[in-house]
Amino acid sequence: MSLVGAAVIWLALLGPVITLLTQLSWHAIVSSLSAPGAFDPLIVSLEAGGVTLVVLLLAATPLSWKLARGTLPFPRFWEAGILASLLLPPLVVGLLLVFMVGPFTPIGEAIGHLHLSGTNTFFALVIAEIYESAPYYVLGAQAAFGSVPDSLEQQAALLGDRPSRVFRRVTLPLAAPGLAMALAVAWARAMGAFGAVIIIAYHPFGLPLQIWTSLQETGLASALPFALVLLVVALPLPLAAYIWSARARGRRRG
Amino acid sequence: MLEADVEADRREFTVRAALRVAPGERLALFGPSGAGKTTLLEVLAGLVAPRRGRVVLAGRVLTSTERPVRAVPPWQRRVGLLRQDPGLFPHLSVRRNLTYAPAADASAGELAELAEVLGLRSLLSAMPARLSGGQAHRVAIGRLLLAHCDALLLDEPYAGLDASLRRMLTGLVVRLVTERQIPAVLVAHELADAQAFADRLVIIDRGALLQDGAPDEVVLRPSSRRVAELVGYLGFVPVRAPGSGGQAPAGAAGIVAGVHPDRVTDGAHPDRGIVLAGIVAGGRPAGATWEADLLIGPAQITVRLADRPAAGAGELVVTALDPPCFGPDGLAVRLADPGPGPGPGPGPGRAWPVQASA
Repeated sequence: MSLVGAAVIWLALLGPVITLLTQLSWHAIVSSLSAPGAFDPLIVSLEAGGVTLVVLLLAATPLSWKLARGTLPFPRFWEAGILASLLLPPLVVGLLLVFMVGPFTPIGEAIGHLHLSGTNTFFALVIAEIYESAPYYVLGAQAAFGSVPDSLEQQAALLGDRPSRVFRRVTLPLAAPGLAMALAVAWARAMGAFGAVIIIAYHPFGLPLQIWTSLQETGLASALPFALVLLVVALPLPLAAYIWSARARGRRRG
Repeated sequence: MLEADVEADRREFTVRAALRVAPGERLALFGPSGAGKTTLLEVLAGLVAPRRGRVVLAGRVLTSTERPVRAVPPWQRRVGLLRQDPGLFPHLSVRRNLTYAPAADASAGELAELAEVLGLRSLLSAMPARLSGGQAHRVAIGRLLLAHCDALLLDEPYAGLDASLRRMLTGLVVRLVTERQIPAVLVAHELADAQAFADRLVIIDRGALLQDGAPDEVVLRPSSRRVAELVGYLGFVPVRAPGSGGQAPAGAAGIVAGVHPDRVTDGAHPDRGIVLAGIVAGGRPAGATWEADLLIGPAQITVRLADRPAAGAGELVVTALDPPCFGPDGLAVRLADPGPGPGPGPGPGRAWPVQASA
């Protein structure tokens, strides 16, 4: 493919971002963002996204590692499960979550005993974001761990490191750039989560829902500034992760 | 002292091996690809569990399948393993690779000394990706030595490096193993590599140890036809006792002599071995020598001669020097009383009791 062809496709992919920047006016930004409580959804989104990342990191990292090392019985079966959750449309996930953790289900009642609720709460928002982002994180992290040669882990063990030390000194540092990218993708998915969120966590209102309601109530022009906010919030982490992992790879090349 | 008596299952066969390697001794396991050499090393390193057996290193029982059952994990064995891939940690500098082992932490003076010996002083802050193949291997050796392992296992470490680098690294390891008086086991599928390293050679084939001896003795006196084939004997000619008028005497039926291409000299020297006359069927240069294929009756042998035979010479007469002979069962046989001469053959001045049968 020629350089021109590549440039055209690249620009076409970036089209929405370019359009957003050209369509925005200062006036619209100021008037939308100066309304009372305009930043509340941003705070909600950041908090829920942060909790989602922590949960993924603690719960899904070990699973990804086991998937990558093939130490689980019937590894194909486990991978198919992750793929199934990736392929489920978010809207369908939201619908099914109502039947799974809604107030009149066994799980919902169990959650109720903890004085929590699986619908229309911050907790529900976190659940929805986890379901929308987890498959992306697990697959990304699995690839990251898979890129670490097990001969290096073996060598570290023979040099005297017990498995936990091998993980800390060899596996984790070598997988870190890939893990950071997986986490960044998960963050972007969590920030933009909409399909499952609109069904089980309409309240408390995160950024994507703010865009949706602005669009419905006052039209396109007032929704755009929030789209910009979403982009500004969702992008830095993936960008930082990308730059950092590129640098880490560069360092290894010496 | 490293002692092992183990049985480990592989897909097609079982590896059965009993080995004893003294401190400072260098043992080479030589055999074709897929003979079970690497499996045996991995059992010693604790990476593969044997079906049955016992591994003892410097008085410590590392593996035992009999009571009391022991399976010391790799990180507590203090066994160093060097493979073809040096396995340097790409995210750590040469210095941090060298001092990676927990046992290496408090040895700054030793690091400086070893870096000097290995020629790595100016590379200590370099990242592994910048190193050449030989440099990476020197770092890998240094890392094992700084880990103070009690035994060194080398799994074809220099395959893929050029010959002069291989010789240099082999010399280095030989020196360090001798200095530190640790047992070392090398696995190789190139005989010259095994001989350059070892003071004892063990032949392994399909999981079985076939012969154990000095590196030159195993090649000159293979215990069986299979060993002879593995160490480079390319032709086997039927032999019979002289003066029997073409009739093989009892006990010599079906006996063949192994001809090693490099253990052949031009012309007839009946006092030094078996004289063979054959028709040149083909030839090619081999290094500084000339390799010729000779047809001797139904048998074909390959010989390497200092000079290319004259074109159209037809029949070529060569002498296979002191060749080993094998009976119909494939085991080595001795055809005559060796007499007082040196070495296992009849010795100089005595005629060989057998000659090639047409």
